Amino acid sequence: MAMAKKAKIWTALGVAMLAGAGAAEAGTLQSMPPIYNPQIILVDGEGGEGGGEGGGTSSTTTYALQSTDAKAYSYDATPQIDAYINLAFKSYEKAADDAAVLAKVVDAFLAAPSDETLGAARKAWLAARPAYLHTEAFRFYDGPIEAVEGEINSWPMNEAYIDYVEGMPDAGIINDPKVKLDVDSLEGINQKQDEADVTIGWHAIEFLLWGQDLSATGPGNRPFTDYIAGKGNNDRRREYLKLVTDQLAKELHGLEERWEFEELNNYATAFKALEPREAIGRMINGMAILAGYEFMSERLGVALDSGDQEDEHSCFSDNTKQDFVHDLVGIKAVWTHAKIAELVTAQDPALAKRVDGLFADTETKINALGDPWDQVLAAPKDSPARKDAEAVVASLQALADGLKDVGNKLGVLVLIPTG
Amino acid sequence: LLNNRTIGFIVALSLIGFAVVSGEASSVSVRKFLSSLPVTEKLGGDTTRPVEAQNAFSFQAANAAGKHQRPFSFGNRLFNTNWVEAPASVKSFDGLGPMFNRVSCSGCHTKDGRGQPPETGSGPMDSMLLRISIPGLGPHGGPNPVPNYGDQLSERSIKDVPPEGQATISYVEVKGQYADGESFSLRKPSYKIANAAYGALPKDVLISPRVAPQMIGLGLLDAVPEETLRGLSDSDDADNDGISGRMNEVWDSVRSKLAVGRFGWKAGQPDLINQNSAAANGDIGITSRFHVDENCAETQSACAASFKSEDLDLNDEFLEKLTLYTSTLAVPAQRHFDDPQIVQGSRIFRDMGCAACHMPTLQSGPHPLPEITNQTFHPYTDLLLHDMGQGLSDNRPDFTASGSEWRTPPLWGLGLVPKVNGHQFLLHDGRARGFAEAILWHQGEAAKSAQRFKAAPKADRDAIVAFLNSL
Repeated sequence: MAMAKKAKIWTALGVAMLAGAGAAEAGTLQSMPPIYNPQIILVDGEGGEGGGEGGGTSSTTTYALQSTDAKAYSYDATPQIDAYINLAFKSYEKAADDAAVLAKVVDAFLAAPSDETLGAARKAWLAARPAYLHTEAFRFYDGPIEAVEGEINSWPMNEAYIDYVEGMPDAGIINDPKVKLDVDSLEGINQKQDEADVTIGWHAIEFLLWGQDLSATGPGNRPFTDYIAGKGNNDRRREYLKLVTDQLAKELHGLEERWEFEELNNYATAFKALEPREAIGRMINGMAILAGYEFMSERLGVALDSGDQEDEHSCFSDNTKQDFVHDLVGIKAVWTHAKIAELVTAQDPALAKRVDGLFADTETKINALGDPWDQVLAAPKDSPARKDAEAVVASLQALADGLKDVGNKLGVLVLIPTG
Repeated sequence: LLNNRTIGFIVALSLIGFAVVSGEASSVSVRKFLSSLPVTEKLGGDTTRPVEAQNAFSFQAANAAGKHQRPFSFGNRLFNTNWVEAPASVKSFDGLGPMFNRVSCSGCHTKDGRGQPPETGSGPMDSMLLRISIPGLGPHGGPNPVPNYGDQLSERSIKDVPPEGQATISYVEVKGQYADGESFSLRKPSYKIANAAYGALPKDVLISPRVAPQMIGLGLLDAVPEETLRGLSDSDDADNDGISGRMNEVWDSVRSKLAVGRFGWKAGQPDLINQNSAAANGDIGITSRFHVDENCAETQSACAASFKSEDLDLNDEFLEKLTLYTSTLAVPAQRHFDDPQIVQGSRIFRDMGCAACHMPTLQSGPHPLPEITNQTFHPYTDLLLHDMGQGLSDNRPDFTASGSEWRTPPLWGLGLVPKVNGHQFLLHDGRARGFAEAILWHQGEAAKSAQRFKAAPKADRDAIVAFLNSL
């Protein structure tokens, strides 16, 4: 009997605790507490773990915090939504154009392989990379990128799955004539057995142009002779490089079309038709998850903690610092060019100013990072180079927290996998 | 400056202590107490996240401390790491094999999710494995290893070391009928090992197939006090309900003593740090403080002769971060909690007696990680072994668990497996194609419940499945 009495107390307490939790969260929001809402979905917050289901909006998706006050969070988001669609379209258009230039330069390299033409192809890869990084702020919700991200920017990758590596001269698809070389075949086995068994995308091309980074000070140094026609498996390597480079440009062009507002029945049209806060929720989650998870943890924090020099995003080309710089440019573009800053300023000028400051601070700290990034990773734990890197982690955390506050202000839930 | 919540925790802590002390370890009272607690959509208590997309199993506990963000992220990195053969240029992550099943944790637990049998029935298993043994007791009372092979079939190996053999599965369809005349078919698997590379396998080899389970909420289960399990167990069925859950007694490699089993399909591991270090060693060939030797059986000379690093592959710091990661993956919230069909399904689930083993509510006690300490949560398991009948038996004893005894698996997250892993193959070897088949396989202590399910009208069966899909 005594047990039953205790159980009752416990039951009441459980309810009180739940209510308490709601009240605690409400303190950081507007006057009315949000109701706990289990219907939020986010697509793919894990770096490199691409693939998965197709894009398109789902009717069960909701980012809007609920309020019993009908007038809460009522604001006009039309300028933001229009500007965001335009920004995404222009960003993918530029990324597709730059990737098409890369494909052309690769064609020229394959037509006449030499140190010079290989150098030009590497330069073209580096030059095409920023425009793509600017689009990474359009990830982490049900946008069109989610269906194809695994085919565009998968990382980390097991390079021996593609081609030879030190000590394994016969490794990889290129040296296995049984594997058919066409887009369907490569996409079919991309990340099939293991998430790091990457066959296509930016980093596959990077590995094909640079080779393994075995140097303590510089990037990889694959010889152009790997691409002389007729020798060993070179013809398969030539075919492979051409295939994946053309495919990258094609995929990016496809994303550009999904965001072009004039096209009927594409993602831009669906985005435009969203409830305002569902659209705003996607914009802010994309920024916050890139800043506070993918960039801060997956690409920075984890690499700093592993103590391995080659545990970096663009490890073959040593271009990782540029990746950092341009990811931030992309996030900031949503804040400014998609006019989120304007919207927040109208509601809470102090918050908008604080977030402006967080962007400026993060930018300064990223610019101060050592380059190449693998030298930072090789530096001792308490070295200035490492401290600079930890400062970037801290500033990204602050930025992500600031963006969460922005979400609260605008009535949308921001869900960061580790925050 | 204590707010309501903090005070709630302090009171909750003292109450749990009180409940445990005054529970007198009677199965009836502990069970009754836990059954009286309200069930909410927050299946993982305060760790719960309202997520339901493909990455739904990969979120950090909602209540995680800020300082755990870095070690969690690094643990996630370790979980996804493809280990490579030593010596390699990336020293932190070499030491694969010589024998292994997959090169990463996420190879089997893809997206922190659930494994499945190979689609074709042949070819190496990608997210399940075969445990093997011969009759009799092995070290510490565990399974008796197969001479020259050990206790797990390694279908993969590093270069120059032959893999142990290849698993093959074949299925026979067995037709049946519900009371209302609707027919169903269950596929009964049988397992063989081909290309045995280290001598013929003994005729009496015992094979236990196991798929990789989803990773959510494991820390909460780890933090359930042993007293609770003791209180729930009822090996002699003293309460006469036909259910006689009991604890496995297994080897604790961390503390070098026998301990209550809790993790794995047969509760063969006592806690998460044991589970993680044993899986790293058995499945990937990674050594750590608690499993210092490579997994080479006595006559596997190429395996024994392969390069051995002097350092442990997984150092203490890495193992600790990996364990923090596997302890604090958030449980996704239940979906459509108030939907009438789901409410009805939940009621029928209890009425049919399913909740006797798949207990809706457990409570965690003290734990070094505050996010999983003193939580009330809804895993739908009692963490105990139950006799499931001959149909599901693998005929292979595992410590004190018999062939037909299996640990009640948690049901949380199962409704999301189609989204996360693109399939819904259930039970220990993925033989069931969806919830209905899984229920129909239940025999032994669960025979009555399965019988009720078979006899129930279609609307009731659909409601149960809808309920399970909402978890």
